[in-house]
Amino acid sequence: MKHSLNRWSDMIYWPILDLLIWGLTIKYMTALSLNPQKMIISFIAGMLLWTFVWRGQYEISVSILEDLWSRNLINLFVSPLTFWEFISAFIIIGILKAGIGFIIASSVAFLLYKVNMFALGFYLVPFALLLFMTGWWVGFFVGGLILRYGTKVEQFAWSMVYLVSPFSAIYYPLSILPNWAQTVAKLIPTSYIFEGAREVITKGILDPKKILYCFILNCIYMALAIFFMRKSFNKILQKGLVKVY
Amino acid sequence: MDILQVANLTKQFDLYKAVDNITFSLKEGEILGMLGPNGAGKTTTIQMLLGVLTPTFGSISYFEKSLFNHKEEILEQVNFSSTYTKLPENLTVLENLTFISYLYDIKHRKDRIIKLADQFNLNNLMHMQCSDLSAGQMTRLTLAKAFINYPKVLLLDEPTASLDPDVADFIRKFLMEERKKFQVSIIITSHNMAEVEEVCDRVIFIDQGRIIANDTPEGLAKTIDTSHVELLVKDGLKRTIEICHEKGMKYEIKGRYIVIDVKEENIPVLLYNLMEKGVYYDEIAIEKPTLEDYFLQVVKQKHESP
Repeated sequence: MKHSLNRWSDMIYWPILDLLIWGLTIKYMTALSLNPQKMIISFIAGMLLWTFVWRGQYEISVSILEDLWSRNLINLFVSPLTFWEFISAFIIIGILKAGIGFIIASSVAFLLYKVNMFALGFYLVPFALLLFMTGWWVGFFVGGLILRYGTKVEQFAWSMVYLVSPFSAIYYPLSILPNWAQTVAKLIPTSYIFEGAREVITKGILDPKKILYCFILNCIYMALAIFFMRKSFNKILQKGLVKVY
Repeated sequence: MDILQVANLTKQFDLYKAVDNITFSLKEGEILGMLGPNGAGKTTTIQMLLGVLTPTFGSISYFEKSLFNHKEEILEQVNFSSTYTKLPENLTVLENLTFISYLYDIKHRKDRIIKLADQFNLNNLMHMQCSDLSAGQMTRLTLAKAFINYPKVLLLDEPTASLDPDVADFIRKFLMEERKKFQVSIIITSHNMAEVEEVCDRVIFIDQGRIIANDTPEGLAKTIDTSHVELLVKDGLKRTIEICHEKGMKYEIKGRYIVIDVKEENIPVLLYNLMEKGVYYDEIAIEKPTLEDYFLQVVKQKHESP
């Protein structure tokens, strides 16, 4: 247990996260109890939009992990493949998979619950891209950790992105959060998107500042995450910390 | 023409110097063996030659271009295979080769893959998942992968380990043929000394991160002056052992045989002594020193040194 991050996350991380998200969601649901359709829309829209963040991150960090597990990193690094091509491949695959997954899940949501995600219209494009961006920078950061520390931090590949979820207001508005958490949420790009999506669904309008703030924050975190991953990559070239074969 | 030049290559990990100021070159069409005991620095050197480990000091140039400044350009013409690497196990043989062919931007990739499948006897395995391949089949696949980009320089880490003798023999012949046809330059690490003697034009011997010898396999073997005389003694084993003790010769009993280590110029004296003491033997074989003897001597010296 002393050396296993998985055990710690199973014991502490996930229960606390579940408690936070579902506790706050139920609090919001209680407030909306007179309007069950609004409740369903809010819940399912949040769930579907979250897949962009999750898929963006998962594709990068789990793919790196799979290459480590299969001892395939050496085959990639000894080829003419550049670091940026390596990264871009994950991003492209992530977009394709999330796009297909979103279309299928949205169709099912429409058929079963009459929730039309495409009612978000044109807004869906910037929403998806900005949510992807968040997934990518989390993915780059986790990828950097995996390159640097190897499989002992593999748990981050599944868990790290959920760290931003309580502050992202996926299923509930920011106003439900305590004051300190609302302050933290202002630094989390996804909170602007989920708030914006709720605005579009309920009022049909969107404050463009939300898109701008989200984009700026994403750019800052993306630059930092890429810098960290590049440093980690250079570190394994220097130290051979990860056994490439 | 030198296709690869390595100068003063050094790799220091904190206090431990894995590779210590090594300099060597590889000629076009040359097969160079890299030998040394475990932990000698061979794999670290190979990793630096592949650009996956940054040297602490020194330079590596392929085709007169620095690896650090022209990495992608150089790696298009270099490839690598090791028994210790794998390819993704959830992909089939065909999918893996196709993926690798994209990495190297191979023209007419289907034709290339068909040809490699023929050459490495992978035809019946193409749609099999790599998780289902045996160790030998996986080695054949990683070798096919190593040849996919028509490499001018090939780095092979234990290429025939875990292969059946007939397949290993095929691989050795294949390597020599490719060298002959396309002037491929190859660096091989191997623990199979007979293989190195058969395949390599030259051998560099690395120990404790340093090159301690750089010569042809025959040249290295010649530095050992002890031959092995193997006798199947019919009558007089005790007397043979006495002679060994008297002359200070080392010997070993191997089943029905006695193997005596003796300097080449002393062989006639030994045979004369045996005759003089009335020793009768049914069989005699004289083995000249080999690369393996050289290897064993270096390892032995290492263990004996304080």
